[in-house]
Formats: sequence, structure tokens, C-alpha cells
Amino acid sequence: MSDINARCVVTGLGMINAIGKNVEECWENALKGTPGIDKTRSVNSDDCYAHLGAEVKDSDIEMNDKVDRVSMLCLQASKEALNDAGISNANVDAARFGVIMGSCVGGVVSIENYIEKGEKTEDINKMTIASIANHVANMAGAKGVVTNIGNACAASTMSVAYACELIRAGVGDVFIAGGADAFASVPFAGFTALHALSENPCSPFNHSNGITLGEGAGAIIVESYEHAIKRGAKIYCDVLSAGISSDAHHITAPRPDGIGQMYAIRRALDKSGVDKKDLDYINAHGTGTAKNDEAEFLSIHTIFDDANDHLSVSSTKAMVGHCLGAAGAIEAVYAIRALTDNKVPPTIGYTDEDLEALKEKAGKIDFMPNAMKEKEMNYVMSNSFAFGGSNASIIFAKNEGKMSETENNEDIYITGMGIVSPIGNGIENYIEKVKNGETIASNNLSSELGKEDFDKYDIKLAFYRKLDKLSTMQVVSGIEAINNAGFTFNDENAEDFGMIIGTGDGPLTTVYEFQDHISKEGTQNGSAFNFPNTVYNAAGGYLSIKTGMRGYNVTITNGSQSGLSSICYAANEIRQDRTKAMLASGTDENSAVMNKLYTQLGFVKDAKSDIYGNGNSMNLSDGSVTIALESASQAASHSAKKYAKVAGYAQTHEGVEYGTVAGSDEGLANAIKEACADAGITVDKIDAVFGFGNGVNEVDTLEKNVYSKVFGKEIAVINVKDYVGEARAAAATLSAAHAALTLAGELGDSQDAYFIAGGNVRKDKVDTKNFEYIIATSYGVGGSYSAVVLQK
Amino acid sequence: MNEKELAIAARIKEMLSENLRIPAEELDYEIPLFGDGIGLDSVDSLEIIACIDSEYGVAMTGVAKENFYNITSLTKYVVENM
Repeated sequence: MSDINARCVVTGLGMINAIGKNVEECWENALKGTPGIDKTRSVNSDDCYAHLGAEVKDSDIEMNDKVDRVSMLCLQASKEALNDAGISNANVDAARFGVIMGSCVGGVVSIENYIEKGEKTEDINKMTIASIANHVANMAGAKGVVTNIGNACAASTMSVAYACELIRAGVGDVFIAGGADAFASVPFAGFTALHALSENPCSPFNHSNGITLGEGAGAIIVESYEHAIKRGAKIYCDVLSAGISSDAHHITAPRPDGIGQMYAIRRALDKSGVDKKDLDYINAHGTGTAKNDEAEFLSIHTIFDDANDHLSVSSTKAMVGHCLGAAGAIEAVYAIRALTDNKVPPTIGYTDEDLEALKEKAGKIDFMPNAMKEKEMNYVMSNSFAFGGSNASIIFAKNEGKMSETENNEDIYITGMGIVSPIGNGIENYIEKVKNGETIASNNLSSELGKEDFDKYDIKLAFYRKLDKLSTMQVVSGIEAINNAGFTFNDENAEDFGMIIGTGDGPLTTVYEFQDHISKEGTQNGSAFNFPNTVYNAAGGYLSIKTGMRGYNVTITNGSQSGLSSICYAANEIRQDRTKAMLASGTDENSAVMNKLYTQLGFVKDAKSDIYGNGNSMNLSDGSVTIALESASQAASHSAKKYAKVAGYAQTHEGVEYGTVAGSDEGLANAIKEACADAGITVDKIDAVFGFGNGVNEVDTLEKNVYSKVFGKEIAVINVKDYVGEARAAAATLSAAHAALTLAGELGDSQDAYFIAGGNVRKDKVDTKNFEYIIATSYGVGGSYSAVVLQK
Repeated sequence: MNEKELAIAARIKEMLSENLRIPAEELDYEIPLFGDGIGLDSVDSLEIIACIDSEYGVAMTGVAKENFYNITSLTKYVVENM
């Protein structure tokens, strides 16, 4: 049952960072002000101007050569949190148990190993962020919503927020939420190139002359209050509301006026029902760069100066460094312990002289220099701000809060779309190609964007030359969807429009090339120009900068199905009234790098492959597809065209070894059944499936078997990969877009389809005239599935 | 420009084109690189500084803005400080 103001509580904590291998050690050392910063041991900084890092001691990590270091860290913190919460298979329904993890650089250590240590196949599946939540879900036996958030340094604050949103949406009881990042050459070289590393230990709100990178993981068991009470769990605190926003300003720097940050902080306060006079402590983003600290000083002073006489603010980054995608989760754990122990951790590194300077900057706010203090607390906040202009703020409360979230129970419609694909760009072009029955010609396909596209959407050279291909495709498909839907926003209502970007492999090409360059030229020679594009949310960040969209902005990544789960996530944001209208995208890039990696994995062969044809190779491809979603009244307010109604959706996980799908049949079957149930229909109402088979036998066979079993009769399956190839997340979103065009009658009266029954396939035309319901499905390796039911 | 200057200017143009994805046809030696011209920003200037340092061993960190005005001024600074 959905209950927008349902209590979400924290019942378990896990953490590892430079000052401890578990929560207790990390907490005690933070209170004592123990610095975890030393000369880096894992990155060659010999020719760099800065050499410091806050690395986890190898002796503190449970080593596991099957996974990247980032997953080792994440697994360790997650196990601690599960044990702390007393969660086991016996006291949680696996289908209502999920994992949401955040990361910035993911398995980038494995990219370095691959390049420098003989290009081993086993390193390939460790490279992306996607694998992290899969490993944790498999360890924990979670079969609910499993995904990762890729919003750089705000990622794991968002993962905790999303877990609560899912509990309040009624789709889960328990989530492991948090995030991880490992110390690595790519971020070290990137921040070196940007001159953003401090030569001395970082000094947030003090010297503010740069960051010190760290590493670690934080894991939080978020649980519905009823579930926690029923199983007699110990409760740390309540999680109230979060504010998430986008600066729409710059890809690396925060807005100097703090508008985006302040929106996130104020929204968290408002919807949590917390008066700003009552907030007791903020674990600040506090990176120690001049730009961050100035903007955050401004935001905090502007909101709290005249209203709050007892606010404490500290940055635990002074001890544990900037743990990037893990920062939000680590700092949330610190904020929760501060709240429950009534002790505020300090910001270390102030000299007597610094203390004098601080007095002038601090006003009534206690910035906690050098020493912890004890004080009774009821409400604490954790802030995270990231590359791409991504802001997140979340509130934890000692007791039950007075949440004031509202719901929007109207129907949700697809009112616009944008398509970038190897068969051309734009909706009109796509409709024409499909009607003409044009199918793809090769096994290596790539979307093309040029001056014509940029001129059409008024994208200037000074803007587009900054973007890698992933971001360029995203910006173009996003703007087309905005125009097609007729979204209009301005400075007054820009926060009411948001986006969820789904990507399977993210900017893997850019990250690989960045690593390849520094492997050859040295850590001191990273490219300042390319580094901003190594974060997964750069694409969504650029789209917000270009369009001025300042609302909810999250990038999710867990395989191809990210392009459908972005629709599930976006629709949930509208249902939970966080935004008036949303974009949901799927974007993935093909390149020489991607082709090389997929070929080495054995998925790309010389010849063009056949879908459902018992072959064993895919036609690797790319693209970006964005759909616009809005509620009925919002659509009516500007007379938007309704392509189709989003009637229901579901996300599931049936864990198998990462990189494979065989054995995860139940995951797909459950996604279909749950999405139909969410739409209020039985599966026999489904007129056709938009499937995901790609020519790889393991994938195609699973799909054929599941449809045969679930539908129990011959079912028509249309597959967009016949037109655009294995464009991964882009193909997943295109399935929904193509299905919506079909229901809107834009594609004529019949289409090519596969008819599947009893595990067998025949090809024929399907009459689409009387279609009422279509279900779009997609998969992620490791066993994650999404399904979306669209209605005429 | 003399022959040496022309060679340096050509190389700087090539670096801007390759490393900052500015189409070569948009670049002449006089067009302003920042502001209303090509529209470069502070991150781009870090890349230019890194390129000139590695190619010519000339350090431009903290150097006055006018030296970054266009390819001609960059060339002049490199020649004078090599």
C-alpha cells in the first residue's frame, strides 16, 4: 500500500573509511578528530603537485578478487548494516527487499587493471557502476528494486532518498541504501588537472584550498516502521524527506548564488515538516574547495542566520577525505550517529589564527572547529552537492516526524519523445523508417549527430564541443522530447521539471580513454577538459544546463533495463508530487572501446546477428531516447498530445552471476505480473510485448521461455532492436516510445512481430489497430528486470 | 609572424582543435578564444596551460588573462618565454 507520509526508519548501519573498518571505529575516530589523511599508497603521484589521500587500510578490507575494490567496500559495509539490523531471509520478504547504491567512479580500478595488466576478460564486468548493487543484492538475497545511482558526489544521499520513496510508494519493506567509491587514478588525475586537490589535508570552511580524495562505503538499512516494529528491530531514527535539485549552471562548479543548494535544503525542511529553527546539526558537503565552501556558506547562512540560534555544522571530510559517491552515505551514517548519540563530530585542522578568522565567517553558527561537543538533538541534515550541478539534502529525526508530502493520484501520460538512433534522429524520421520496414544493416551501429541537429535545437559550438558522445546524444533527445511535449518553464517554475536518466554502461568510453591517457602519460597529465565527462550524471547535467531544468535530476545505472526503470522512477516522482513533469531517458554509447570490450566478452561476432534466431551475438549499437511524462491535469494545462497512458510498472531482481542472465527467469516473470497488477489488469489483457532479445541465445531463450509460461498462449512480441540494434538503455526506452507510438496509431495498422508460444517463434505481421495494452520489458545482466504497461 | 612563430601558432591551433574539440575551420589566429568568440572557459584554460607546458616547457599558470586572448597572443607569450 502506498502511503506518502509513511514512517521510514533506520534499523542498521555499516561503514568503512580511512579511519575505521566498521561504524564504531569510524565514529569513535571521528569524534576524537583522528585524521585519516596520508600520502597516497595506491596512486602514483610522483609527478603531481599534490600527494595526499584518505585511503582504507588494505588490512581493513575483506579482499575478494571476483569483484572490483568498490564492490568489496560496498559489500563489507552492507554486511555490517545487515547484521546490525538483524535482517535475514527469515524476517524479510525477498520480493520486497531492495538495494539502491550510489557511486561516482564505480569499478574504475578494474579499468586501470585491464589497461595496465594484460587486458584480462575478467576485469571487463567489474568496470561499471552497474555491478555494485547486483553484488550486494546477491549477497543479501534481495529480489525487489535493485539499482545504482550515478550522480557523482551526491549519489548516495540520493540512494537513501530513493529507497524511502520506494517504501512510501508501497513497493518495498526494506532497502540496503548507500554507496561506495574506491581510491583510484582517474579521479586523482582529474582533480589534479582541475587544480582542485589540496597540497595539505583538506580544510573545509577554513583554508578552502582544495579537496583530499578519500574512499570507503556507507550502508543504511531503511525500513518501513511497521515492518521494523513487527520484527522487533532496534530503531536508530526516522528518515524524513529529501530535497533534490539541479543547478542548471555549470558541469563542475556550483552556482555561486547557491539557488540550487538552497532549493534542495528548503524542500527537505518543508516536506519533512521541520522548522528551520529546530534543525540541530548539518553534516555539510564541505569539500574544502573555495567554490564549494563559499556557495555552501552562503546557502546555510541565508537560510538559517536569522532563524536558528543553535545550529552546528561540520564536515567530516576533514578526517575521511572526499569519498565521492560514498560521501553521502558515509556522512549520513555520521549524521545518524550524531543524532542518536547526541554528539557532534568536529571539523579538524584549525590553528589559533584560523579560529579568529572563523569567528567572522561563522556568525551564530557553530562550525565545530577541532573538537566534538555533546548536545541534545532532534533533527539533523546531510548535504551532498555534485558535478553536473546535482544537489541533495536529507533529514533524519530522532522521533516520528510531521511529514507533509502530498500525492498526485492522476493518470500519467507520455506526452512527448525524442529519438537519437543509428537509423537517424527525430520522431518523424523514426516513424518513417519503421513504416518502411527498414531494418539494420550491420553488427556495429552508431548514431550520428551533426551541425544540422545542433542548429535545429540552437545548441552552440561553445556548448556542444564540451560534451562527449553520450552527453551529446542525451542533450539532443532530451530537447526534442521537451519540444515535442511542449514543456515551457522559466525561472519561476524550473524546479517543477525534472529528469531520470538511465544508462547501462554510462560514460565508460570516456573513462576508459581518460585512464588510457594517464596510463601512458602519467597521473599528472590527466585532461581537465575530459574529466567532467567521466561522471555518469554529466549527460543529465548538460541537459539541465542547456534547458534550465532545475528539478529532480537523477541518473540510474543497472544494465539495459535502466532505460525502462527510468520511466518507473520518473512516474513515481510524479505520483509522489515532487515534480509536475518528468523526462525519462535511456542512453548508451557505442565506440571503438565499447566494441572491443563487448567483442572480448564474446557478444559481438563478425556477422550481423538474428534476434530470437538461436545465434550468439548482438548487433552492438547506441542512441538516446527520452520520453516526457506528465499527469493528466498538467498535460491538459497546455493541451499536450497524449501518446499513451503509463498504466503500471514494476522492477524486480532474481540474482545470478553478474554478466549473465540464465536462471533469472522468475525475475522477468515477476516484473510482468507485478506491472500488470500495478495497472489493475490481468496478464491476459496484454495485446503485445515489446521485448529485449538481442541475438544472444542466453537472453533470447530466457525471454521466449518466460513469455511462453507467463502468457500461456501465443503472444505477439515486437522488438525495436530489429530497427536500431542493441542500443542497451536507449533500446529499452525506445521500446516504450515505440509502444506509445503504436497505441497512438502513428505507425499504421500492422507491424512485423515475432509470435512466441511454447518456447517457439514464428514471424508474421501483427494487427495493431485494436491494441489496448502493451507491456515493455527489459533486462540487466545479473538478473534485474523492469516492465512498464502502457494503455491506449 | 616569422617562421618560428607560424609553426608555434599552427601547433597551438592543432592542440586547441584536438584537445578542446574546436573545429579547425572555426579557428583563425585572431579570433578571441574566451567570451563571445569561441567561448572557452576556465576548465579549457587549464587544458591550454597543460598543453603549452608539455609541448614547450612554458608555464602559464597565473599568467595575465590578455596572454590567452587569441592564438597570436598565446604564440607571442610562448616565444618570449621559451
